[in-house]
Amino acid sequence: MAASTTDMAASASAPVVHTDTSAKCFIVGAICYMVVAGMFALVIASKFVWPEFLGSVQYFTYGRMRPVHVNGVLFGWLLAADMGLAFFLVPRLCGVKLWSEKLGVATWFLWNVIILSAVVTLLGGYQKGLEYADLPTWVSVLVVIAWVMFGINIFGTIATRKYQQMYVSTWYIMGTILWTAFVYLTGNFATLLPGVTGVNQANLTWMYTHNAVGLIFTPIGLAIAYYFIPRSSNSPLYSHKLSMIGFWSLAFVYVWTGAHHMIHGPISQWLQTISIVFSVMLLIPVWAVVYNFIATMKGEWHQLSDNVSLKFLMSGTIFYLLTCFQGPMQSLRSVNAITSKTDWIPGHAHMAVLGAFSFFAMAGVYHVIPRVFKTSLHSDAVANWSFWLFLIGGLSMFTALWLGGFWQGLLWNNPSIPFIDTVVWLRPVWIVRLLSGVLVFSGMVLFLYNILATVVGAKRHAAAQA
Amino acid sequence: MLGKTDSNATWFIVAALGLFFIGGLLTTVAPPLLDKSWNTAFVNHDPSKGMTGELKPYTEQENRGYAIYIREGCKYCHTQQVRTLEADTVRSGWKGVKAPVSTPDEFVNDWRQTFGTKRTGPDLARVGGKYNKQWHKAHFNNPRDLVPGSIMPPFPWIANNPQELDDLVAYLQTRGRAKDWRPDGDYEK
Repeated sequence: MAASTTDMAASASAPVVHTDTSAKCFIVGAICYMVVAGMFALVIASKFVWPEFLGSVQYFTYGRMRPVHVNGVLFGWLLAADMGLAFFLVPRLCGVKLWSEKLGVATWFLWNVIILSAVVTLLGGYQKGLEYADLPTWVSVLVVIAWVMFGINIFGTIATRKYQQMYVSTWYIMGTILWTAFVYLTGNFATLLPGVTGVNQANLTWMYTHNAVGLIFTPIGLAIAYYFIPRSSNSPLYSHKLSMIGFWSLAFVYVWTGAHHMIHGPISQWLQTISIVFSVMLLIPVWAVVYNFIATMKGEWHQLSDNVSLKFLMSGTIFYLLTCFQGPMQSLRSVNAITSKTDWIPGHAHMAVLGAFSFFAMAGVYHVIPRVFKTSLHSDAVANWSFWLFLIGGLSMFTALWLGGFWQGLLWNNPSIPFIDTVVWLRPVWIVRLLSGVLVFSGMVLFLYNILATVVGAKRHAAAQA
Repeated sequence: MLGKTDSNATWFIVAALGLFFIGGLLTTVAPPLLDKSWNTAFVNHDPSKGMTGELKPYTEQENRGYAIYIREGCKYCHTQQVRTLEADTVRSGWKGVKAPVSTPDEFVNDWRQTFGTKRTGPDLARVGGKYNKQWHKAHFNNPRDLVPGSIMPPFPWIANNPQELDDLVAYLQTRGRAKDWRPDGDYEK
């Protein structure tokens, strides 16, 4: 009698066995695309130094390769990696298996079709012509279908959850799925409605482009950080209340700021002012989140030295703070008059997407891959090398572009200097950017090698045991 | 109220979308309804009311050129907006005359907005009429022949394709022409 009760208790509380097929596919695939997008980055950075490089082949001109780099990084690497990590952490936060691994794998197949179509169509000159929404409309339709499949799977998992209380990472992922749906439809489809032209179209594009970062990559990146910072450091989250303040202020504030991309431009002054006011208010969610992360690490900082995931997470947090401090400052009319349209802008954008959100995603990957393949990481030393290459390469790229861009802005504001002189003088900045890119790319290659070696090692290990 | 969203997914969805839609609708749907200049083409024939001129619809040829501009991703290096900055009006000016600031009513025929985010090459908002076709042909063939130090890629497949060259130049010549800003109609063709 006693024995059978114990058995029943054991089976009731038996840990759920996760198969994680969808998570594995998305994460490993995303890292491969990261390296491909990195190659495109090196080519286009080279073109700033040697404008003739691959210059006379129409498929490889700057105007066609840049969208491949941007979309490759955003959708091929970052969003795919984030989706893979969501497939890992949502079932664990809910205490159940993923709603459907089959649907997850099907989503992954569709995702590959999207990425490959994107490369071919963008190089072929079939770009839609709207930033971040460059993909031809039929590819955008596939993205919507894939997103709905992803959403059904995640919400299906949440609906069947065993733990009633939802952790902050779950909110952020649900928020991402809901907001992305409308943000993506606005940028890719509302912009094409009949009668939507000129400034109206630009305003809708900016609602999308800005919120692609603010309401897609920010919330899913924070979901990852909120999960892995306490997990990797084995310390409880500092404050639940602070995480609520951060989440709900983000939900309200972010969407108002799109027009700050056209400060001083041909768009209504009152709309510019609204976007500036809300841009400054962004400091609230950012500060709430960053304070929570830093306070969680209190007394645990020594763990940084031998935990590569934590290294990525905490430097990502610092980059997140910096990038979100820059954002409101750049929206102020006086600062914007200097920084807008200069090389400062790619410096800022790279710190957000590479420095903050890719660092969070890589931290998650380093944590998840050994666990889902039930093995240990191939090499901690290589992981450390990849971290330092990303950090040093990233920092020198951001710094070169900020300083160079600010200087460029000051030069532009002195109209007695011919424009072409400002191009010629920026060359050293672009050389540093290219060299930094080589460092970052080396980090990517080591990252890919380490993960693939871990996966292959796990397979060999399993085969040897069988 | 937000406390409930912790454990109730339906409450969560309502709150997350509700907060999002307030700003979402007020910043996307409302502005073109409030500011008519977003959808009304510029026209003024009375010099006492400021700059004269008229925004004309694109011809078929100009539209083909417009499509080439989009296809080649020109907007990734060239912005098209004279901002409310003194330096912008001087830089986009020509032969000592400052260019007028860009206004929304000049863009209502643009089926793909080309305002741009990054200015690697000069702004093209007022490039229409500054250079003739011969200049553009030589420049597309090799920008460095005409502008030493330029980092613009060569576009020989456009320069050596008479149809595409004509179309693209026709489009470029429309840029900034809604406003008659140059003295004595001094525009190249």
